[in-house]
Amino acid sequence: MTAVLEASHLHKYYPGVTALDDVDFTLQAGDVRALLGKNGAGKSTLVKILSGAVLPDQGEIRIDGQEVTIKSPHDSFLQGISTVYQEMSLVPGLTVAENILLGRWPTSKRLGVSFIDRKEILRIAREALGQLEVDIDLNQLASRLNVAQQQLVEIAKAISFDPRVMILDEPSSALPSEEVDTLHRVVRRLAEQGRAIVYVTHRLQEIPKVADSVTVLRDGKVIGTIPVAEATPERITQMMIGSDWQRTQWQRDAELGPVKLEVRNLNRAGLLHDISLELRGGEVLGLAGLLGSGRTELLRSIFGVDPIDSGEIIVGGVALNNPSPSAMKARGLGLTPEDRKQQGLVLVFPVEDNLTLASLRRVSARGVLNPGKERELAEAMVEDLQIKTASLAVKTRTLSGGNQQKVVIGNWLNTLPEVLMMDEPTRGIDIQAKEQIFALVRDLARQGLAVLFVSSEIEEVLDVSDRILVINQGRITHSRQHDEVNLEQLMALVMEEINL
Amino acid sequence: MTGAVQTKSTTIRSRTSDLLSRSGLLIALVLLFVALALFAPNFLTSRNLLNVLRAVAFNGIIACGMTFMIIAGDIDVSVGSAVAWASSLLGVLAIQHHWPLVLAVAFVLLQGALIHAGAGYIRVRWSVPAFVVTLALFMALRGAARLITNAFPITPFPDSFNFWGGGYILEVIPVPVVIMAVVFLLFHFISVRTVYGRSVYAVGGNEESARLSGISVWRTRIVTFALLGFLSAFSGIILSSRIMSGSSNIAVGLEFDVIAAVIIGGTSLMGGEGTIFGTFLGVLFIGLLSNGMVLMGINPFAQEVIRGLIILVAVLISVTRTRN
Ligand SMILES: Nc1ncnc2c1ncn2[C@@H]1O[C@H](COP(=O)(O)OP(=O)(O)OP(=O)(O)O)[C@@H](O)[C@H]1O
Ligand SMILES: [Mg+2]
Repeated sequence: MTAVLEASHLHKYYPGVTALDDVDFTLQAGDVRALLGKNGAGKSTLVKILSGAVLPDQGEIRIDGQEVTIKSPHDSFLQGISTVYQEMSLVPGLTVAENILLGRWPTSKRLGVSFIDRKEILRIAREALGQLEVDIDLNQLASRLNVAQQQLVEIAKAISFDPRVMILDEPSSALPSEEVDTLHRVVRRLAEQGRAIVYVTHRLQEIPKVADSVTVLRDGKVIGTIPVAEATPERITQMMIGSDWQRTQWQRDAELGPVKLEVRNLNRAGLLHDISLELRGGEVLGLAGLLGSGRTELLRSIFGVDPIDSGEIIVGGVALNNPSPSAMKARGLGLTPEDRKQQGLVLVFPVEDNLTLASLRRVSARGVLNPGKERELAEAMVEDLQIKTASLAVKTRTLSGGNQQKVVIGNWLNTLPEVLMMDEPTRGIDIQAKEQIFALVRDLARQGLAVLFVSSEIEEVLDVSDRILVINQGRITHSRQHDEVNLEQLMALVMEEINL
Repeated sequence: MTGAVQTKSTTIRSRTSDLLSRSGLLIALVLLFVALALFAPNFLTSRNLLNVLRAVAFNGIIACGMTFMIIAGDIDVSVGSAVAWASSLLGVLAIQHHWPLVLAVAFVLLQGALIHAGAGYIRVRWSVPAFVVTLALFMALRGAARLITNAFPITPFPDSFNFWGGGYILEVIPVPVVIMAVVFLLFHFISVRTVYGRSVYAVGGNEESARLSGISVWRTRIVTFALLGFLSAFSGIILSSRIMSGSSNIAVGLEFDVIAAVIIGGTSLMGGEGTIFGTFLGVLFIGLLSNGMVLMGINPFAQEVIRGLIILVAVLISVTRTRN
């Protein structure tokens, strides 16, 4: 049988980096291939070459045995390839439905003039989203969607092309487990219909559920392709890292210090209801909840990003009347936002400047920057977080997704916060780096840092937190010590139906 | 492999990875210079070259503030009117109302900063595009200038006042050129070495990320407006000193020369990127071009066409560069 997709001897060089080094990649119809590798290994580069977003410096691509040139995303659509990129690209000013059919809006002719056929747009979009079993208002503007919703819309868009080959670059990194399960079902169904699928992920536990085989990249080279039956976590991590994985251990031995942050009866109409919580120094408090339960809204409200209707936010014993990000930062709070591209980074900045964006005070005296100090802080973060970058001077947008995420975290760690709120901090970060970050956060907790932590991966919340709050429809419904619940129980609490 | 950082110990960090575009501009500048030296009569005399520098000084000073404005993602079309208003107000206060000159100058500078700060406040408070706010200023300030002067130049200033716009240092270097050099150095320093300067880049590069990183977007923008207002008034004062009158009819269309210089200098209209040094080159480029065309006796209307076309090319380069 000829392969649907066959890429051979792909090379891609960037200044100071070999992103792909003689990569061969073959895909059969009906096959779901998981693509794995550490941050910066070259996964997205391969994806972008297959989808025409980036041109290879060398190499060829065959579809059904025929050599093709894919010079633009349009060429790849024509070959039946549709792609969900790692960095989302919805047009903010268009509706969900318009985004799903972007650039190929159905038209109807009346009096010789083509009109956009709104009904048809809605019908196709509804069908695509329906496959994912999610409820998103089709007429909502894309700018109002949170990251998970954006991700789902992107996936629906890819499906609506009815592709022969579908490429998904970290589709699950921003999704809560419910939606991930649905995604797996959809992917399996598409594969059964004979489509070929590439699935990039950092979550090892989803491989057996979704993939038939696994390809691992390291430093731009293919390390190997193995059937899913052989793909044990040990084997995969060994292939990804290149040596046996020394797991970073962390302990929850921090002593609880004084209350650092207190929230009393916080309300935001329709989003948050009567939320109260207390966070102590040394404590890692996890916030578990479904998509749309109000996790992000809560963090943003505390940090003064969005206005609240009523309630008190008390930092270090002092109530703040008019919270704003700069006022909160001045009091030792920090927030790593969920959307690194829109909210966390200035992509045109050099890596160094993004690593000190929130700590300009710390690297300056009387308003004058100290370049030596800046460099020192930036270098330390690159070292601690293992940020893979050609240099500190390259633009941040050239970093791989996971490495950009690390820059967001580094930016806030550099402020030496007393309270750090982290919204999906591990989105797109590889397993090794993730453990290093957790170890680092734990270490800082031991020195008195208080952490409020949100993740869509409930396992992760359970692993890292000392205490877990369950948030449901904008209300805190449960509070548990980490050793009082197991995963199933926590899942049940998170998914509980509440009657209002 | 991971975590490996090549440290380059450059003291002055270059913000532009667009070295190419900048060196492109340098090459263009050199070519223009050589061409003018060959074809424009009397071009290559120290007298003419110093005159070019003096002619660009008034725009150059304003271009520094405009660079910040555009880096911050905004634009200001009112600076020409602000210059005329400053000049007129100075004439009215110092000559008609007999204010001491120093006091009048201080007042004009202060009101320049304040009016623009007010415009900046409106910009951030109601999220009105800067273009719209400054368009209103563009009309209002020119009108106000004509209103208080009846559109007649106001004279005479005391002779000693001529030093600032028309005088020389060491008998050869025009004073405005020295002032321009100081302003450029100062703004270069602000852009690369101060918290405020970095904030300007951040706000223009991604306002939301800047805000969430605890940078005060309001303050940054309002200060940027105020600085530009101050520089426009300042330029208006030395221009008054040069022509020795307070006039409401000067600096017509100046805003577009200034904006063009900034963009030719490689500052991105998308915000977040640009350099003061690039702007300096852009100002020189436009100055040399105008001077050369005059020396070569090109029809003034044709001059405008040529300048327009060259600015268009520069903008095209700027836009295509940002896309890649
Ligand atoms: N436009 C670019 N300019 C320069 N370097 C780039 C560019 N795009 C990618 N790179 C580099 O190529 C390498 C591979 O990046 P890629 O995005 O493919 O990694 P990845 O495997 O997808 O990582 P992640 O898991 O973090 O998403 C990285 O070192 C990255 O810095
Ligand atoms: Mg990637």
